[in-house]
Amino acid sequence: MTEDRLLVSRALKGDRKAYEMIVRKYEQPLTSYLHRMTGEREAALDFAQEVFIKAYCSLASYRPAFKFSTWLFKIASNHLIDHWRKKKLPTVSIDQPVDEGDDSLTPQIPDPGPSTARRFELAEIREKIERALETVPEALRELFVLRHVSEFSYEEIADIKGLPVGTVKNRVFQAKEMLRKRMEAS
Amino acid sequence: MTDHLRPEDLYLYLEGELGAFDAGHLEEHLETCPDCRRALAERRLLHEGFTSLPPFEVPRGFAAAVLERLPAPKLRKAPWLMPLIAAAASLATGLVGFYLFTGTTFVDLLIGWNRFSSALAGRVLPLAVKTLKLGGILTRVIGDLLSMGLQGLTTFTRVLGPAGTIIALGLALLLVSFLVFLGTRKSLHQGEEE
Repeated sequence: MTEDRLLVSRALKGDRKAYEMIVRKYEQPLTSYLHRMTGEREAALDFAQEVFIKAYCSLASYRPAFKFSTWLFKIASNHLIDHWRKKKLPTVSIDQPVDEGDDSLTPQIPDPGPSTARRFELAEIREKIERALETVPEALRELFVLRHVSEFSYEEIADIKGLPVGTVKNRVFQAKEMLRKRMEAS
Repeated sequence: MTDHLRPEDLYLYLEGELGAFDAGHLEEHLETCPDCRRALAERRLLHEGFTSLPPFEVPRGFAAAVLERLPAPKLRKAPWLMPLIAAAASLATGLVGFYLFTGTTFVDLLIGWNRFSSALAGRVLPLAVKTLKLGGILTRVIGDLLSMGLQGLTTFTRVLGPAGTIIALGLALLLVSFLVFLGTRKSLHQGEEE
């Protein structure tokens, strides 16, 4: 039995310490995901609390055949969808093709240069990514965050979102190209 | 038609998600195409950026705050409870149905069952006791025979000595082989006759 399944089984028997261990294990990946999705620190923390409480209340419905992390993120993803639906936030169609303008990217990469310069360059790129990420439509942003921030495999993301693996790969690619174009434009 | 690599493949290659065959094909193409090498280098830096985004700093006490808000635990019901309730309900329904159709109550059934089991025990028990006694006697006789055989064997080997024992064993082996040979020959002859 994996550690998560053991903890869930203990939590189901009323062991709160076991659930605390689950919360501690997933608080960071979950809040990182929610922060990128909401764009607000406080909202991310509130949402994370609500997701953990929701998960606790429906712990009996968790099937150990699946990974606990994908189950938890599925709850988080549905929670976000409910939130957006309530707020009726404007959404952008993800079927819209990525703007295919000039295909070149500004950063001059091939020369690795000294490590400090490289670190600065990477830090700058990360900052640009964070800014550009806020402008990417939620549906694409979510898949990108699940892949590169939460580090789920494409198969796990397909499981969380109930989408075919091919669609997930294609949308993550769309998100990346969109980010590339927006970073280029900025 | 373009001869260049697809950007989606470049990303998958950087993630290690491209199969070995496709990756080999891509690397071969990169050796001869400076445009694709440049495209890969651009995306490599982006990929590094994507995969090294800083994690969210969770405030200390977050887990404790979650635990404070947790409702009373919903304990999972014992898995055997529902089948037990279903079995009891089925039994009760069956008994009521039996009473309605035959007019026999549960108490009558119990009395009948009690009489039947007493009669059965009265016949079966003496037989079982006799069988057990016979089994005991047989075990004792077999045990005595075995110990006598062992004693005889020990005395035999002591009288013959180690060399004599080996010769006796060899002779016994020869005798067994001879008997097997005879038996095989006879069965082969029978086959020919048939």
